[in-house]
Amino acid sequence: MKDFDAIVIGAGNGGLTAAATLQRGGLKTLLLERHNIPGGCATSFVRGPYEFEVALHQLSGMGTPDKPFILRKLFADLGIMDKVDFVEEPELYRMIIPGIIDITLPASVVGVARTLKQYFPKESRAIDDFLELCKFVTLESIMVLPRARKAVDKEMLRHQGKNFAKYGLKPAQQVFDEFFDDEMIKAVLGAYWGYLGLPLRELSFADMGALFYAYAEFKPYHVIGGSQALSNALLDSFLEAGGEMRFNCAVDKILTESSAVRAVRTEQGDEITCHTIVSNASSLHTYNELLDVSNRVELVREDFKSRRLGVSAFVIYLGLDCTPEQLGVTAATNFIVLTPDDEAVFRRAETLDEPLGCGFTCYNVDDPSFAPEGKSIASLICIQYGDVWKNVAPDDYVNTKYAFAEKLLDLAETVFPNIRSYIEEVEIATPLTMMRYLNTPGGAIYGFDQNRLDSSLFRERYKEIDGLYLAGAWSGMGGFQPTYQAGVSVANSIIRTQIYRDKANV
Amino acid sequence: MSDDVLSVIEGYDQALLDKAKLAAKGTDFTERKGEVAAIIGHLHPKRLSLRVIKVIEETVSTKTLRLEAVGGYLPPFQAGQYINLFVNIEGVNTSRPYAISSSPFERNYYDVTIRRVIEGFVSNYLLDQVHAGMCLQSTGPMGTFYYNPIFHGDDLIFLAGGSGIAPAMSIILDIIHQKRPVRFHLIYGSRNMDDIIFHRELKQLEAENDFLTVTRVISEPSMNYSGKKGFVSTELISELVGSLDDKMFYLCGPSNMYDFCLVELKNSGVPSRKIRVEMNGAPKLPEQLEGWPVGVLSKTIINVTVRGKGRFSAKVGEPLINSLERNGYFVENACRTGECSLCRIKVLSGNVFNAPQARIRFSDRQFGWCHACSAYPVEDIEILI
Ligand SMILES: Cc1cc2nc3c(=O)[nH]c(=O)nc-3n(C[C@H](O)[C@H](O)[C@H](O)COP(=O)(O)OP(=O)(O)OC[C@H]3O[C@@H](n4cnc5c(N)ncnc54)[C@H](O)[C@@H]3O)c2cc1C
Ligand code: FES
Repeated sequence: MKDFDAIVIGAGNGGLTAAATLQRGGLKTLLLERHNIPGGCATSFVRGPYEFEVALHQLSGMGTPDKPFILRKLFADLGIMDKVDFVEEPELYRMIIPGIIDITLPASVVGVARTLKQYFPKESRAIDDFLELCKFVTLESIMVLPRARKAVDKEMLRHQGKNFAKYGLKPAQQVFDEFFDDEMIKAVLGAYWGYLGLPLRELSFADMGALFYAYAEFKPYHVIGGSQALSNALLDSFLEAGGEMRFNCAVDKILTESSAVRAVRTEQGDEITCHTIVSNASSLHTYNELLDVSNRVELVREDFKSRRLGVSAFVIYLGLDCTPEQLGVTAATNFIVLTPDDEAVFRRAETLDEPLGCGFTCYNVDDPSFAPEGKSIASLICIQYGDVWKNVAPDDYVNTKYAFAEKLLDLAETVFPNIRSYIEEVEIATPLTMMRYLNTPGGAIYGFDQNRLDSSLFRERYKEIDGLYLAGAWSGMGGFQPTYQAGVSVANSIIRTQIYRDKANV
Repeated sequence: MSDDVLSVIEGYDQALLDKAKLAAKGTDFTERKGEVAAIIGHLHPKRLSLRVIKVIEETVSTKTLRLEAVGGYLPPFQAGQYINLFVNIEGVNTSRPYAISSSPFERNYYDVTIRRVIEGFVSNYLLDQVHAGMCLQSTGPMGTFYYNPIFHGDDLIFLAGGSGIAPAMSIILDIIHQKRPVRFHLIYGSRNMDDIIFHRELKQLEAENDFLTVTRVISEPSMNYSGKKGFVSTELISELVGSLDDKMFYLCGPSNMYDFCLVELKNSGVPSRKIRVEMNGAPKLPEQLEGWPVGVLSKTIINVTVRGKGRFSAKVGEPLINSLERNGYFVENACRTGECSLCRIKVLSGNVFNAPQARIRFSDRQFGWCHACSAYPVEDIEILI
């Protein structure tokens, strides 16, 4: 008799939805988390009168109540829709290249087309064609690709999925170049590249086009109480279904027997037995450090070799004693870049030099309740690789952090002057902060680099250890929507095998 | 891996080749084993093993414990931060946070400066029972009460009372070492002349450094005392520093000092973004706080059930963490004033009163989580830890 049917390691997005789905699916489940709070990235912290959202800038995948999309249904299935309130954002983003362009894209496909045509009348035809293509590539990747793969039907993919087949794997930059002449419109439409962590040349068009289309068609959302509210609600759903949770309880080892999971050992030294383990910790931590037979998973290690460690982020969380209007903030999401050249902006992520681009998200533009009256919260973020910090001596860490924060603030102040004079609370997070809270190598926030080879088209589930599963940013795409989905889908496949197993045992 | 269906996709075969190229140059990351733990261990270790290497008598009521790392390595900290010292007193495992009073550039030891609290449980133990050679556990350095060059400006006024001088001392030493371009005025309230901690050190520092001004204020002066006396009011502050505009105020001291100074500063129009406060423990008299349920007496005894683990009785007026600890339950903690959220626990049934100073997340409130160090069980409760 095992202690649990399933043990989930880590209460990040993937771990939470996996645990809740498993427990609600009838498996006796234990959820273990190193920290004292659920969420991983999806968390918040309080300073003075402000509560800061750590990671969620724009939630994708919800859809509106009339036109619901994947995530709304997923949350409803887990019973949390009536426990969390969402705020729809009317804009995708405001993109500013100081002195060159300042444009705000509304959150609708029609609105995007209209706005872009005003700014780039010469590109009118291309704009329509491009947005059509984004739509078809997205829909085909969801509706056709999986069916064609399952049915092993080339013709289906070739005909019903022709846009995906032609454009899906092309570098996003190449597709942008094919459609547009004006560099500026490419920069405007490509502004979301930072959410994927690589420049357009390295991203597949399928990822970039789908990301843009999904936000435009299904709207970006904020969550009242921040992503922590989602994490707390998911945990509640798990606990209410009878799940057991332990905080401050890191897993130290995954113990196996004849290449099948047997138990976990916690930092306190307890051994807890189970049939199945879902790890929401990074795949590198899981296989290279936790697994007792890490030298016996050759296929996994082979797969690691074609991966590259993904980006982390440098973030300044700002509690401001002013309203968004006083600061000149008109849209919640802002991208400020000094050049339309995304490669140049990206290359700074490998250094501590002046950043050339940043995101500035002000949460109470669309809902003042995100901060006390008359005040605002904002996060100022740029992507950065953790290895930049590897050679900073611990004794120099704090000053290095302040020095870089000043550079990032200088950049933001080119558009929103006087940010500094309104600061009431500030907290600065470096890639090492992410590392501390997520336990990921390099403090990576989206898992591995999400180049076009990171796609599930080129990757299979690791199967060398029976009963060991991954759910999170390291076994699929990073980001909120993908990781929530990953947890549910892994859990459902476990439940299905469990049902077969039970039937076989009868 | 080649998938026949996918070969329909343009560029698929090329991508497979690219993947093989990446793999040829790539690594299985085993060389990074232990890297995360090592980096975090150097910056933010969860626990430190410390040995007392010296006990320094500061005043009749105050001693400094000089602590070195048993393993030899102490993490860096920002001047103003604290460590939470774990102790076992009469069989009870508990802890208290103490600001580090030594310079952040003194990398061989941390000093903590401890003043006797009348009827205090831990301070008396640390002052009376701890001697050189003893070992103590602590958290790593924590806390948000420090000089932040991003927005604190260059005109700093530190209002300290009693042991609140400890972080001020570290901040002063940090300013000297880093040659920070600031002016620093320390206004330090003590009960009497014998009770001034770091009296000699401060005199010397003041003589050596132009940026530093120290004003002592005595609340219970002797007959022949001629300096500043009474409480630290805004009148006194204005008299000492002139206009209150564009200055950053730091407050650290006993709670009656805050209550007074904070109101004084706010009434004089100092915006909250110009005031930094270091809280100092959970409220002793919660029934006097705003929002306390009418008719509930702090001496009432209620039952606390810890789901799956046991049950004990506790006093309404005592922070939950204290009764938990007395009954053998451990909850992670550090600040013990409601700020850090490490002692977060879930209330399954019944109500607790959360001290207004507790920094509880919006959704934690919604889903019944509280901070055990600053929550008072106002009726029978069941909790999950
Ligand atoms: C600053 C920032 C901004 C971001 N912005 C966005 C955005 O706008 N949109 C978007 O979609 N995405 C964004 N992301 C990315 C997104 O948040 C993450 O990709 C996603 O949340 C990852 O979820 P996960 O399930 O992989 O788990 P993680 O969040 O990585 O959580 C893993 C959990 O496992 C725990 N754990 C690790 N090891 C152990 C162990 N040995 N034992 C027990 N527990 C363990 C960790 O403590 C952690 O709680 C951002 C991330 C950050 C940090
Ligand atoms: S110990 Fe910090 S909030 Fe309770």
